[in-house]
Amino acid sequence: MSLPSARGTGGGVLSGATPGGERHMIRRRRGDGLAAAGFLAPSGVGFLLFVLAPTIGVVLLSFFDWNLLSPPTFVGGANFAQLFQDHHLLAVYGSTTFMAVAILAINVVVGLLLAVLLEIRMPRWIRAFFRLSFLFPFVVSSSAVALIWRFLLDKDFGLVNYWLGFLGIPHINWLGTTQWAPIAIILVNSWKTIGFSILIYIAGLQGIPNEVREAAIVDGANAWTRFWRITFPLLSPTVFFLLVINTINAFQVFAEPRVLTQGGPGDSSRTIVEYIYDTAFQGFDIGYASTVGLTLVLLLVVLTLIQFRLSRRWTFYE
Amino acid sequence: MTAIRTSGVASSRPGSSRPSRVRSSRSGEVVLRVLAFVVLAVAAVAIVAPFLWVFRGAVSPTDAELYKLPPGLPTSPTFGNFGKVFEQVPFAQFALNSIIVATSITLLQLITSSTAGYAFARLKFRGKGAAFTIVIGALMIPLQVTIVPLFLIMTNLGLTNTLWSLILPPAFSAFGIFLMRQHFLSLPRELEEAARIDGAGHLRMFFQVMLPLSGPALATLAILTFTYWWNDLFVPLVMISSVNQETLPVGLVLLAGRYSTGSLGTIAAGITMAIIPVLIVFVIAQRWIVQSIASSGLKI
Amino acid sequence: MNHSTKRVAAVLLAAGLAVAGLSACSSSAPSKDSKTLDIAYWNYGQGAVDNNTKLKAGFEKANPGTTITLTPIAGAGWGEYVANLATLIASGKHPDIAFMASEGVKFLDQNNLLLPINSYLKSDAEAKKIQADIAPGLLKAFSSGNDIASLPNSFNDFVMYYNTDIFKAAGIPAPTGDWTWDQFEAIAKQLTTPDRYGYAWTGTEIAPGVLPWMANQGGNLVSSDVCKPTANSAPVVKTYTFLEGLIKQGISPAPPASNDLISQFENGKIAMFGAGRYVIPSMLGAGFKSFDITRYPTGSTYQTTLGAAGYPILKSSKNPDLAWDFQKYAASAAVQDAVIGTPTAPFDSVPTLRSTADKTVAAGIPPANTKLYYDAVDNYKVLAPFPAPAKYTQFEAAVLQDSQLIFGGNDTVQQGLDQLQKDLEPIVTCN
Repeated sequence: MSLPSARGTGGGVLSGATPGGERHMIRRRRGDGLAAAGFLAPSGVGFLLFVLAPTIGVVLLSFFDWNLLSPPTFVGGANFAQLFQDHHLLAVYGSTTFMAVAILAINVVVGLLLAVLLEIRMPRWIRAFFRLSFLFPFVVSSSAVALIWRFLLDKDFGLVNYWLGFLGIPHINWLGTTQWAPIAIILVNSWKTIGFSILIYIAGLQGIPNEVREAAIVDGANAWTRFWRITFPLLSPTVFFLLVINTINAFQVFAEPRVLTQGGPGDSSRTIVEYIYDTAFQGFDIGYASTVGLTLVLLLVVLTLIQFRLSRRWTFYE
Repeated sequence: MTAIRTSGVASSRPGSSRPSRVRSSRSGEVVLRVLAFVVLAVAAVAIVAPFLWVFRGAVSPTDAELYKLPPGLPTSPTFGNFGKVFEQVPFAQFALNSIIVATSITLLQLITSSTAGYAFARLKFRGKGAAFTIVIGALMIPLQVTIVPLFLIMTNLGLTNTLWSLILPPAFSAFGIFLMRQHFLSLPRELEEAARIDGAGHLRMFFQVMLPLSGPALATLAILTFTYWWNDLFVPLVMISSVNQETLPVGLVLLAGRYSTGSLGTIAAGITMAIIPVLIVFVIAQRWIVQSIASSGLKI
Repeated sequence: MNHSTKRVAAVLLAAGLAVAGLSACSSSAPSKDSKTLDIAYWNYGQGAVDNNTKLKAGFEKANPGTTITLTPIAGAGWGEYVANLATLIASGKHPDIAFMASEGVKFLDQNNLLLPINSYLKSDAEAKKIQADIAPGLLKAFSSGNDIASLPNSFNDFVMYYNTDIFKAAGIPAPTGDWTWDQFEAIAKQLTTPDRYGYAWTGTEIAPGVLPWMANQGGNLVSSDVCKPTANSAPVVKTYTFLEGLIKQGISPAPPASNDLISQFENGKIAMFGAGRYVIPSMLGAGFKSFDITRYPTGSTYQTTLGAAGYPILKSSKNPDLAWDFQKYAASAAVQDAVIGTPTAPFDSVPTLRSTADKTVAAGIPPANTKLYYDAVDNYKVLAPFPAPAKYTQFEAAVLQDSQLIFGGNDTVQQGLDQLQKDLEPIVTCN
C-alpha cells in the first residue's frame, strides 16, 4: 500500500525526507542503515508481534469456523458469503457511519469554533478555566462517562430532560428509542473527545506566528476575512490531521454503546467494533468476527486514501 | 514561540500586500467578543456540569437526594460512600493494577516511539518511505479487530489473565512514532552538524543531543498514552478473567453491580476516585502538549 | 471437516503465530497431585468472595491435605461471566469446578465441558439425604435434558416486590398473590402518579422482565429441548401485548427502565417490580424495609420461574471424585445454614435446602412474606427448561434488544417477535 503524496515533491509526504538533507545523507546511507535497524528494532518487535502477526491471524481465522473451545474447522469462503446474508451487518454499518460522521463533524467543526473563540482577548485565568473545562471529560474513562450519562439521560428522573423541560421540550427517551439512542451516543462521545480536538487546534493556532495575524489586523481585514484568508489556510494541516485521527477514532467507538445502550434498541446504536466483540465473545463465532473485522480495516484504508487524495485540494503546507 | 520552529510561514502571507486601512467597527468587535464569551461559557458549563453531579453524588448520604429536582448542594455531606466502594470491590487492587499497567505502557511507548521517530526523522535508509507508510497503515487496524489473535498470542506466551497481556500489546504505537517523528523533524539541522563534527555517533546524538531537547514532546506522548490506557475498557475485558487482575474501568462497571443493584452514591464515589489522579496529572501537563505540538506541527 | 484440513488449519494458524517468532508451546500445566481442586467462580461482589473463601476454608479443614485454588472471574451479569469463563478455558486453564447457574448449563453441556452427576447421585447415600431436602423443581431447572448439572446450593425465583407504604397510602390492601393480570393492571394503574410508576418492567435481564409473565401463559422462548426458538408463539405474543399495554398507558416506564431500578424502588419512584432474592441485601443494607413480596399475577396458568446455581464438575477435572465431594459439601446443611445472614445483611439468594429456608424465615429476615421464596417452588409448577441455549449471552442480548424495539414503540408486537424469532434461529440450535 502506498499513500499518494500530498506535496508532489521531496519524496512524498509520508517518507519524511526533507529535501535539503537529501544529498548530504546519501553519503552516509550505509552507516545509517545499520543504525536505523537498531533504532527501529524496539518498535519493530512490537509491530511484528502485536500488529502484523495478529493481522495475519485475522486473515487466517476468517477462513475458519471456531468457537474458542473446540478445534477450528476450515470453511473456505463461507464467512465471506455470510457477510452478504447478514442483515444485522448492514444495519450496524449504517448506525456506525451515521454516528461516526456526526462525531467527526462535531469534533472538527465545533472543536475549531471553540478553539478560535478561545483566542479572543480575555483574562488569563478565564482562558485557563475554559481550556481545562473542555479537557475535563477527556481524562475520564469511557466506562465512567457512560455510567454517568446513563443516569443523566434517564427519561424520567434524569437531569438532561429536567433542564430541557425549562425550554419547553417534552421528556425524551434518550436511550430507549431508535431515533434518540444514536444521538445520545454521538453527544456523549463528542462530549468526551472534543477536548482533545480543541487542544490540538489550540496548538495549531499557536503555531501561527503573531506577525502574520497582526499584519492582517493592520491591513484592516475583519475577523471573518482574517479567519478564512489567513488562519484557516495556515491551520489546514491541523484540520487534516484531526480529520484523519478522528475518522479512525470515530469508527472505533466501543465503551459508550456497550455501557449506555448495549447497542440498542435493535442495532440503532451498535458500532461495528461492538458487533465484532459481540460476535467473537458472546456468540463465540471467532471466524465470522474476524471476517467482519477485515471489512472494517478495508473501509478505514479506503476512507484514509480518499482523505489524502482530497486533502491535496485544500490543505496548505508551508 | 520557540525559535526552533521551521520558518517559511511569512513568505506565504495571503493578502498582505493590501494597503492598510483604519479599523472600522470597534463596537462590532466588542459585540462579537461578548457573543464569543457567552458561547464559551455555555459550552464550559455544559461540559463540566455532569462532573458536579458526580461529585455531589459521591458525598450524598442517601440516593434519595440524587432524585431531588432541581439538584442542590448535599444536605449533610459524608465520605461514607468512599468506604463502601472498598467494601464492594477490591478497588485498591484495581487502582494498583491500573497504575502498573498505564505506567508500564507509557514507559514502553516512550522508548519504542522515540527511537523509531528518530530513525524516521533523522536517518536515511532504504525503504524508509515504505516503512513509514506501514506505520500510518497500522493506525488503520483497530485493536478490536486483531484482539482474538492477540489473545491467542498472549495465551501461547502464557500471559493471558496477567497484567502483561495488557501491557505488551500497546508496545508499538503508530501515533507515538508519528508524534515523535514530527518533533525530531522540527529540531534544527545545525545541532546535528555540530555534534557530528565532534564525532558523535548515532547513540550519543540520540541520547545527548536529541532527547534533552525533547522534554515537551515526550511529556505529550506520555500524557496521552497514560490517559488513554488508564481508561481502556476493551483489552482487559478480553484478556482478563480474574477479578484481581482487572483495572479501574472494568472495576467501575463491576461497581454498578449485579443486575444494576449498585447504589448511585457508591458508583459516584468510585468514579470520583478513578478520575482525580488523571485529572491532576492532566491539569498540570496540558500546557506541554500545546507547546510541543505548536512547535513541531502535525503534518501527515 | 476432515482430518487433513484440520491439520492444514492448525499449520496455517501456527504459521501466523510463527511470523512473530513464536513457538506454539502450550501454557504450562502444573502437575496435579490427587488432592487439589481449581474452582472458578463468579465474583459479582464482596459477598461472592466471602462465600467462596469460607467454602474453601471449610472444605480444606474437613478434608486435611486438600488444597483449593479459587479463580474469581469478573462479569457484570451471567452472560459476561460465561463469556469470561470460556476465554479462561480457551486460554488453556481447566478448572475442576466452575460455579454456574441455570443460565450456563447448556453452555457447559453443548461444549462438552460438563460432567453430569446422575451416576454419583444414584450411588451416594449422603447425596440422597441432601437431595431429599431439595425441592425437585430446583434440580429440574438445573439440568440439560436428563443430565443433572449439579446439586444446587442456592437459587433465585422471581417474585413481585411491592412498596407497602405506597399501598397503604393508596388504601389498597396488600396483594395476596391470587390476582389476575387484569387485577394487577388495575392496581398498578391506581398506584401510578406523575411522579411514580405502578410497575417497572426490568430491561436488563430477561428473567424478571418477561419470563415469569410468559410462564404464566404456559409459554417459553424456546422449545422444550432448547433446540428451537418459539419467540412468536401465542403465549409470548400475549405477554408482550400485555406489557406493551402497561407501557403505553404510562403505568410502566418505557425501556430502558432499570438502570437504577432498586434505587428508584427505595425512593418511591416505582410501586412494584419483579426480581429474585438477590435485591434483598442492597435494600436491607440501605435500611429500606417497607416492602414485601408476592407472586406474579396468574394468567392462564401459574408457573414459578427460577434459576438455580451450584458447582458443576467439569469433564476435564483430574479429580472428579474430590470435586463431587466439594459439590456435596457446598450444598450441605452445615454450609447453607452458615450463610443465612442477618436481617440487615442477609444471604443474596434462596438456600436450596428446605430446612435452611425455614431457618431463614425463623431468623426474621425481611420481607414479611419470606416464606414465599421457597413455597413458590414447592407448591407450584416450575418453568422448565430454563430458556438458556449454549449461546446464552447472545440469546439474552437479542431478546432484550428486540424487546426494546417493541416496548419503545419502534415495532408492533407481532413485527418485533417475528424479528426476534428470526434473530434467535441461528442462536438457539442443537447442532
